[in-house]
Amino acid sequence: MKKLNFYKKVIALSSVLLLGACASDEPLTDSILDVSTPSKTALDTWIDTNILTPYNINVQYKWNQNVVDNNRFLAPPLQTKVQPALEIVQKIWLESYKTIGGPDFVKKIAPREFVLVGGINLNTTGTITLGLAEGGQRITLFEVDNVNKKDRANVKRFIHTIQHEYIHILNQTKPFDEKTLAKITPTGYTSNWYATSTTVAREEGFITDYARSNINEDFAEMASTMLVNSKAEYDAILAGITNQTAVANIRAKEAVVVKYFKDSFNMDFYKLRDEAEKNTTAVINGN
Amino acid sequence: MKLKTIINYLFIAVLAMQLVSCDNKETLDSPFNATPTERLNAQQKELNDMLESSEFGWKAVYYTDTTQLGGFTHVFKFKDGKVDMASDFDDDTAVYSSEYSIDLGSTVSLVFTTKNRIHLLSDSNNYPVAALRGKGYKGDFQFLYYGQENGQIIFKTNRSFEELRFVKATASDWTDLAKNRLMIANVVGATTRPLFRLLETNDGTKTSQFDFNFTAETRYAVANSIETGSSMSYNMGIAYTPTGILVSPAVKVGNQQLAAFTYDAATGNFIATGTAGVTATIKYSNKPLVLTDDYKVLLAGNPRTIYAYIAAFLATAPSNSLLCNSLLNTINASLPSTQKVNRVSFYFNDGANGSYISYSFTGGKSTLYHFVTVTEDPVNKTIILKDDGWLGGSEPTLLKDLDKQLLDPKGLYVKKESFKIAYSNTIYTLTTASNNFRITTYGL
Repeated sequence: MKKLNFYKKVIALSSVLLLGACASDEPLTDSILDVSTPSKTALDTWIDTNILTPYNINVQYKWNQNVVDNNRFLAPPLQTKVQPALEIVQKIWLESYKTIGGPDFVKKIAPREFVLVGGINLNTTGTITLGLAEGGQRITLFEVDNVNKKDRANVKRFIHTIQHEYIHILNQTKPFDEKTLAKITPTGYTSNWYATSTTVAREEGFITDYARSNINEDFAEMASTMLVNSKAEYDAILAGITNQTAVANIRAKEAVVVKYFKDSFNMDFYKLRDEAEKNTTAVINGN
Repeated sequence: MKLKTIINYLFIAVLAMQLVSCDNKETLDSPFNATPTERLNAQQKELNDMLESSEFGWKAVYYTDTTQLGGFTHVFKFKDGKVDMASDFDDDTAVYSSEYSIDLGSTVSLVFTTKNRIHLLSDSNNYPVAALRGKGYKGDFQFLYYGQENGQIIFKTNRSFEELRFVKATASDWTDLAKNRLMIANVVGATTRPLFRLLETNDGTKTSQFDFNFTAETRYAVANSIETGSSMSYNMGIAYTPTGILVSPAVKVGNQQLAAFTYDAATGNFIATGTAGVTATIKYSNKPLVLTDDYKVLLAGNPRTIYAYIAAFLATAPSNSLLCNSLLNTINASLPSTQKVNRVSFYFNDGANGSYISYSFTGGKSTLYHFVTVTEDPVNKTIILKDDGWLGGSEPTLLKDLDKQLLDPKGLYVKKESFKIAYSNTIYTLTTASNNFRITTYGL
């Protein structure tokens, strides 16, 4: 018992010692790291006002080796091309979803970061990677230097990438009906998709060549192709296909896409397409 | 030992540890007199101050990969996160502005953060040869800082750790870029110069020769020894200067490294001079460096052989000489507009017909035949074609000049080439020994 008391006293004493042990007379000083905010250019302020603050999406246009594949030979964009590219993103993609899906739609399901790369990402096989969606958090957009807001085909190609990658992000949030889609053209998928042209792919029931790579890309290509084309343009694509089975298959895939947007997000896909079309025209006309 | 005793000892040990636990290690002297963070910050500042300090900025000759590509000269002027830059990558040597930053990663590095001239080397879609598809010119634009030496800033590239030195630029370095571009034609070699080139080294006592082949697209030259049994070769990336070229790796002659060659406009030679009579010269030759026996199969007694220049595929062959092209163009110009030279075919040992040259045309003009006898010059390794009469008449005026070249009294060098054009047929070139005339043919 005596011993226990002794231990108690020692413990009490040492706790007091411990409490005071590491006290230091020196006050904490400022960090020796540079924590000052870098000076912002007009472009940085524009990004803050139009993308970062309203949508909580960060934009990296200055080179950061940690967000780009170091094995690829890529370069940052021309500073003057950043704002035109982002205006396309903002107007055609963000605002269209905002109007049809509700003001909070893209705020809830959106990538948290855009990485802009200037040049074309050419693979050694000769194919071109237009965009990347990593973990649903970051979308990398290539070819920013080539953006021309006045040219419809150019704008369509650029926005196609964003629409395509965003469909992947939506799919990662809520899966689409993979079983139904996989049954439509089960034998047409190939990893060697780039060996045949889009024209050939369409005759086999795929909307683009890349859609043949697997069902996830098929779904994303289907949805994004419909979003970048007006109803008339889309109908013209289908009218150009000779094989009527292929047309029926593409229509069946279209139904999967439309149903997905209705069931998962309560959105009318055709209205979204019309809104995107309206905004595309507005961008090209400089509004 | 009783368990209780063990606990007692442990208890005391723990107490003792607590007493010394807060001993302040910071009082120990750092061998660098600063914390790692302080030292990195100081390095960042040191690099930025250095970059901004030079009045006319900095010059760097960037060799991206000296195993297959040459050097690209860049000049930079740094100020407050902005950089003005120009390069001799292409004919646009104007100055453009962009941004840079001094980043902290594994070490302090200089990054060109928005697009400018240096990024032209890192464009996957713009590559000089098919082997570099997707890799561009293998350039980097993030450079790791490795300190300073003799007023130069030493960097290593982020991806491949190639050393890159920034040297203080002068005012003329900015205007010299355009002059660098003018040097390219001299390195490629004027069409008026002799058709063969070599690199000749002299180590003060002995001269060695290497055949010299330069590829303008990659700015790269390969020089292989012509001496039998020697596998010695010099492969070098080339950078242009207003007065000549710089090569990397340097040409090693004896124990001297020669990197700077000066252009001599009179001879077209590029000369690098060391000490004690050591030189390296890139020069022209009227004669092939390596004489081949490729002509022997054409001599009498061998099976039939046909070589043909086919205009549709070989008119643009780079191995045709200027003289050859101009003679063919002259013939075409003097023909009616619907007619052109179609083929110039060389038939050797064609049975009873012997050997002859046939000139065929498009647009309905009939083929002309010139019979020849074939002899050899075994010393200079040429075949000599001698006139043996035209089929059905005398020499047509139209073909006089071209035909005269083919019947060069000193003969023709025949070379089986390693490259192909349009078809898998072997390419043979016929070069006259007297003139700058070379015609490209298919082996049929």
